[in-house]
Amino acid sequence: MRIEKCYFCSTNVYPGHGSAFVRNDAKVFRFCTSKCHKNFKMKRNPRKVRWTKAFRKAAGKEMTIDSTIDFEKRRNVPIRYDRELISTTLKAMKRVGEIKQRREHAFWKHRMAAARDKQRAHRKKKLEAKSSVTLVEPMSVESAGSEKVLHKIKVPAKSKSALIAGEGRTMGMDID
Amino acid sequence: MGRLRRSRAHHARRDVHRAARTRVRTRDLDLIQHIDLDPKNRAKLEAQELDYEKPGLAQHYCVECAKYYETDYALTTHWRTKIHKRRCKTLKEPAYTIEESQRAAGLGKEGKRPTHTPPEPEGGMVAEGPAVEVV
Repeated sequence: MRIEKCYFCSTNVYPGHGSAFVRNDAKVFRFCTSKCHKNFKMKRNPRKVRWTKAFRKAAGKEMTIDSTIDFEKRRNVPIRYDRELISTTLKAMKRVGEIKQRREHAFWKHRMAAARDKQRAHRKKKLEAKSSVTLVEPMSVESAGSEKVLHKIKVPAKSKSALIAGEGRTMGMDID
Repeated sequence: MGRLRRSRAHHARRDVHRAARTRVRTRDLDLIQHIDLDPKNRAKLEAQELDYEKPGLAQHYCVECAKYYETDYALTTHWRTKIHKRRCKTLKEPAYTIEESQRAAGLGKEGKRPTHTPPEPEGGMVAEGPAVEVV
């Protein structure tokens, strides 16, 4: 059993899933879903489509150089079954997975910290750009000496609403 | 009453599915970059024999865009267009390949295993291509 990789998004393609396209020169392009296949037919470059693994790796959003990545390999030479070897491999896979997860989290944290700094700098710059406009003293400061005059606003004692029953303008029936 | 339907819903993109058929597939960028742009292949493509099936008898071919033109004039005007220039620009950066998709997935390639008879360095064993697939 061989787990293939999708040409477009680089996810796993398990046997019996997805589709494949064989080009004239016998190159096999495998796709996990019709979405990826359609994107391929549209001749899009996966490196420029943001949701693909290729984009994320190329744009430095994920780890590219790490010893935990080097374990997964396409092995073209079959290995004779050995119970002990399999059990140790399984154990190693679990351990490697744990380490990889931790490293990925650390990488993400580091990336986010950098992004936060960048965003803060950007905000500061934006604010400075705004403050370059000299503000005129507000008019109210000059006229602060004059006392405030409270205007009386006439409010009808009872505003009639069509939505409340028994207010005269109801659309429905009057309720006695 | 007649049919009530939104107009201008197609943007003149009527035959999307027909245009996406396998038989109208255009040449892929990686093939152009790795094969066609090689000076030897390029010279061959630009000086093709008369082909009555191809547009302009296959005499006016743009290698970058992988397209035949009817006349020399059409080809030279094409070289001045934005489409051609854009294509040249995209060809400058390395094309996406299957190997890259596998690398992005974290799938490496296993190095060649030492064969069972290492002490005899024969002539045939020394040549090791980059894409040797061992069965």
